[in-house]
Amino acid sequence: MFNIQSKINKNLFNLFIFVFLISSCSSINVTEEVVYDGGISTVEASIREESSLDYETRAIFTNATVYFEFDKFNLNSKSLQTLKSAVAAMKDNSSIKITISGHADERGTREYNLALGQRRAESVRDYFAVNGINANRVTVKSYGEERPLSNGSDETSYAKNRRAEIN
Amino acid sequence: MKKYLLTLLLVAQPIFSELVLEITKGSDNPYSVALINFNGSNSAKYQVTSIVKNDLDRTGEFRILENNKLLSIPSSEEELNYSDFKLLGVDFIVMGSVAEEDISNIAATYKVFSVKTESQIRTSTVYGVPNKIRQLSHYISDGIYEEITGLQGVASTRLLYVTEERSKDRSLFKLIVADADGSNEQILLRSTEPIISPSWSPDSKQVAYVSFETGMAKVFTQYIATGKREIVLENQFQISSPSWSPNGKYLSLTMYQDGNAEIYILNLKNKNLTRLTNHYSIDTESSWSPNGSKVMFTSGRSGSPQLYEINLRKFNTVPKRVTFEGNYNAKGSYLPNGEGVIFVHRKNSSFQIALKYFNENFVRPLTNSKLDESPSISPNGNVIVYAISENGTGLLAGVTLSGARFRLPIQKGEVREPSWSGFLR
Repeated sequence: MFNIQSKINKNLFNLFIFVFLISSCSSINVTEEVVYDGGISTVEASIREESSLDYETRAIFTNATVYFEFDKFNLNSKSLQTLKSAVAAMKDNSSIKITISGHADERGTREYNLALGQRRAESVRDYFAVNGINANRVTVKSYGEERPLSNGSDETSYAKNRRAEIN
Repeated sequence: MKKYLLTLLLVAQPIFSELVLEITKGSDNPYSVALINFNGSNSAKYQVTSIVKNDLDRTGEFRILENNKLLSIPSSEEELNYSDFKLLGVDFIVMGSVAEEDISNIAATYKVFSVKTESQIRTSTVYGVPNKIRQLSHYISDGIYEEITGLQGVASTRLLYVTEERSKDRSLFKLIVADADGSNEQILLRSTEPIISPSWSPDSKQVAYVSFETGMAKVFTQYIATGKREIVLENQFQISSPSWSPNGKYLSLTMYQDGNAEIYILNLKNKNLTRLTNHYSIDTESSWSPNGSKVMFTSGRSGSPQLYEINLRKFNTVPKRVTFEGNYNAKGSYLPNGEGVIFVHRKNSSFQIALKYFNENFVRPLTNSKLDESPSISPNGNVIVYAISENGTGLLAGVTLSGARFRLPIQKGEVREPSWSGFLR
């Protein structure tokens, strides 16, 4: 007695797999199939050009960095001190526009760390906003754990990497 | 004879240099399988036997006996003496042959015999091309696995992952697709900016990922075969954490429209967005239940990262908390049968991969090193591949639900964020 089933393979070339089930006291599973290979293409990501930087105004500002505790995004008193002079510099020169990028250490998942880096950058933005800096002068983004300052897997490295950079 | 030896060396050499498979622990009660060296007139037979052995070993569910461990080596069914195999405690016998039909075609035939019933239980033929012996061998492995365990095999599936090669002043990031055993690596995307969160479309023809090439996180989709790619949403916001719905029509993602991470569902056809979460804490890492009715995500709303579930069929209900043990549970994904979730769990100061069944109220740790991340489960639900950190570099490891552990071969640079394809066979 033969029981023939056919199913169409999902793949591109409409391959067929025939399964013959021979039912007797012992059944043999008979199959035939063709290896599918759809091919692969490589893409080069075109990297955007860096926007031309105004080195004079950047020099006044001197790349401030503030640091955070694990899984935290609140500003401590040392950070507030750092940001105070940043706010002053921005008030002195209304042409300065800044980007705040938030970062995390490698512990925990990459996407959660991306969101955490964003919260850290947002904390800094909030400080600027509260101190009267117009929101359109501030761009905020996160790199999560993807751009560590230190590659070590110890608390000293982690502490350096949990940061928000202003530049 | 001399020529024959030379061919053997040329063929065998790349296999052993590229594939270092380390099985650190297998199943406690494995099937015992006699894998008789494949016959055939060409050199492919050695490669096929070796790849099939590796594939079966990696499942952790077999004890493989090769020719040198057997009492007799039958070359056909007629020569098969079952008592020689019964003495060794063998459950199943596999024999086969490879034939080059012409320059562009190769065919492998294999048979599976049950020692218990003293009968043949399967005979199969796989057709392929000579320079894709590896894929052909994976098909054979999956056929054997399927016959013996009753489950679909995953040797013929693929892994997607990211590598980073650091040099002094910059990094090179690559998005790579490889066979499930880590061999046959091919580059999908090369960039000097970070690439994270790669994932497969349900038909495994496209991938989605986050690239920072525009200066901030943006989600792209890309066809594997053609390289055709697009940014899924053109706007000024950071977008990340893409996950395809099981029917392929939607992408759940995290968008930072309000500055904060919130989850949305994007209709890929008309680009309509539906907002799924609305909370001042972090909401990210969404993934779909197998039937598409629920979305799991990580939220900081309780004060620490925990997993939550939204039922898409009960709109506007409060997300249901899934994890309660410990203060860090993140990046959850459903088992293919929908009965549980795998995720990253923090225990003391270690991050481990853990499993929780929905009908149990405790967490089952699956790994035990310090910084385990990014678990992704095989389409048959049996194996979890994840990223580990060892001596300052990242590599990929695997664990089966039956407890077998393995490492995938070490690539150049740091390897991370593995994602398992669907079935391709």
